[in-house]
Amino acid sequence: MKTLYTPIEAVLEDVIVETPTIKTFVLRPKEKFSFTTGQFIELTMPEIGEAPFTPSSDPNLKETIDVTIMNAGKMTSLLHQASKKISLGIRGPYGKGYPLEKFTGKDILIVGGGVGLAPLRSLLLSLFAQMHKYNRVVLRYGARSPDDIIYKQLLPKWKNVKGLDMMITVDKGNPAWAGHVGLVTTILNDLPLDMQKAVVIVCGPPIMMKFATLKLLEIGFKPEDIYLSMEKNMSCGLGKCGHCRIGPYYICKDGPVFTYEQLKDLHDIWD
Amino acid sequence: MQEKYLTDQTALLDFLKILSQEFRLFTPKIKESVPNKEDDYIYYQGVDPAGFRFNPYRVIDPVKTFFTPAVEKAAAYFNVQDSPGVPVKVALFGVKSCDLHALIFQDYVFLEGLAEDALYRQRRENTLIVSSDCADFKEVCFCLAMGVKPYPEKGFDLNLSVLNDGYIVSIGSSKGEEIINKHRHLFVSAKDSQLDGLRQKRENLCSRLNERLRSLNIPAYDSLQRLMHQGHDAETWKNFMRTCVECGGCNFICSTCHCFLLADRKDPSGELNKEKSWDACQYAAFSRVAGGANPLKTRAQRLRNRFLKKFDFFVTHMKMPACCGCGRCIEVCPGKIDIREVLKDLAL
Ligand SMILES: Cc1cc2nc3c(=O)[nH]c(=O)nc-3n(C[C@H](O)[C@H](O)[C@H](O)COP(=O)(O)OP(=O)(O)OC[C@H]3O[C@@H](n4cnc5c(N)ncnc54)[C@H](O)[C@@H]3O)c2cc1C
Ligand code: SF4
Ligand code: SF4
Ligand code: FES
Repeated sequence: MKTLYTPIEAVLEDVIVETPTIKTFVLRPKEKFSFTTGQFIELTMPEIGEAPFTPSSDPNLKETIDVTIMNAGKMTSLLHQASKKISLGIRGPYGKGYPLEKFTGKDILIVGGGVGLAPLRSLLLSLFAQMHKYNRVVLRYGARSPDDIIYKQLLPKWKNVKGLDMMITVDKGNPAWAGHVGLVTTILNDLPLDMQKAVVIVCGPPIMMKFATLKLLEIGFKPEDIYLSMEKNMSCGLGKCGHCRIGPYYICKDGPVFTYEQLKDLHDIWD
Repeated sequence: MQEKYLTDQTALLDFLKILSQEFRLFTPKIKESVPNKEDDYIYYQGVDPAGFRFNPYRVIDPVKTFFTPAVEKAAAYFNVQDSPGVPVKVALFGVKSCDLHALIFQDYVFLEGLAEDALYRQRRENTLIVSSDCADFKEVCFCLAMGVKPYPEKGFDLNLSVLNDGYIVSIGSSKGEEIINKHRHLFVSAKDSQLDGLRQKRENLCSRLNERLRSLNIPAYDSLQRLMHQGHDAETWKNFMRTCVECGGCNFICSTCHCFLLADRKDPSGELNKEKSWDACQYAAFSRVAGGANPLKTRAQRLRNRFLKKFDFFVTHMKMPACCGCGRCIEVCPGKIDIREVLKDLAL
């Protein structure tokens, strides 16, 4: 019997090395599988376990799904050692994803940190597919060092995307790095945005999200216009196992994307 | 009002025998009698050879064990064949009001929301619940303080209330009604005087229990969410967690706790499955994430989490606290942490 937790088989078709600790895994599901940008999947390595990841590919691609994964623990380290053609499992998609319909006609600021650019790549690709709907898209991305920047082949190409204003910073540069040095919050000043109709989407490590949110409030974003990708320990992905509770919400089913307005009165949201 | 019936011990034993042909029967049985200690009951598969008697109060294990077992196969890996197998039909005798109340929360989790858990649904539908009134209460019982009566009003298929030498039978579902109609010869209509007797008996137990609870001073159940908000940073959590040994017992034995973890496991035949097993928010790793961050780092945070889930989260979503007052967590705790005392301390 198929149950809520039965995975769909997905073949690992390709592995792309992004940084020493981050790889993109290209999966080909054996059954039809689609998602909207910002939704996540539970990815299973048979016998090892499963963990939640947000696809980083364009949701309009129907054959394969990319997930960009940082080597962070038990399953992800084994995944980083995996060779092509093995069978993985996926369940989902779960969660609500980004409310694109609310972004129509807006100035969209996207702030990413580290591997947090992964779900944002999927979002950006979705936006690029219908750029005429949005007034302007501004991307601000921060990585620890030049070596830690992901999508190194792709990012230079985005320089040519009409309507996109992009800037990258690193916490610590190297001699070859000619770009900006400093935390991502240092490139959030003087943004080319019409604050009257701007929304912002943030994804990154909790500490970065916290300080980015404070900065964004300071420069005039309203709590209801700040969209945050929340991360908590998860198991089921659909509001049953109880792991991802925060206040009255389950991150998996009520999020993972929340506005700061929804979260601001809750305790310990950044922990 | 639905008609009520009367039956006697002989007819009930016949009823049990008939049911046992169709159902796997579980009936109450004393676990072991220890002098000067209140008796504990368990669900016994079959009928106690010493004779059938209803338990005066709940059994040790919460009824959730029949629907969301401690460990179960939750999914097979790829290429799943569609052979659901023949589900076992179960008849449970002696479920108490507190356990029925707690099932509301389990149902909410596993039957509602984004999707229903088909395995839970199957077990729920294949189980006949024959509940019974409490005739007494345990030292740890506090159902009335949570707004739960010590006699079932809903959530059962049949309810049997002991009265003199017989039983008053109430019907709670069409499943229950069907069974009574099928075996109508074992039941007669209850008389008004007998129903009056039942009412009297219930009132007597309630006033005895209320008297006992008055001395405990448990905060009103409709004030608990406010207490959670006010007491978020109270010293209570730190003070009470001192004796917690993180065994998870309070979570596992809790009638309303539902949290679980999925893991890959090979069964004895070597087949790989996803296994669902109960998890406990009192465990240090419950909410740990890769890299070591953990929003529930301390025992005080975890104790608070257990209370917030019951008295804040569920009150928001279901308008009532997810505690049925069965007192199991009090009995199980090696650290002698008493949920009633914690609530009282928060209200100080
Ligand atoms: C909605 C969502 C989307 C995510 N998207 C990405 C992504 O695109 N790329 C990426 O690199 N990481 C992502 N993460 C984080 C990723 O899930 C964790 O890095 C991963 O669970 C670590 O698994 P592990 O077995 O290697 O770690 P271990 O520390 O060994 O963890 C064991 C188990 O605990 C749970 N767990 C541990 N950490 C987390 C966590 N941070 N979030 C949820 N469950 C956790 C998982 O079930 C995991 O298998 C996402 C997390 C969430 C909640
Ligand atoms: S808590 Fe109430 S309903 Fe439950 S066993 Fe005790 S007296 Fe009966
Ligand atoms: S039963 Fe007591 S000791 Fe065990 S986890 Fe619960 S509070 Fe801690
Ligand atoms: S992951 Fe299970 S409730 Fe959110």
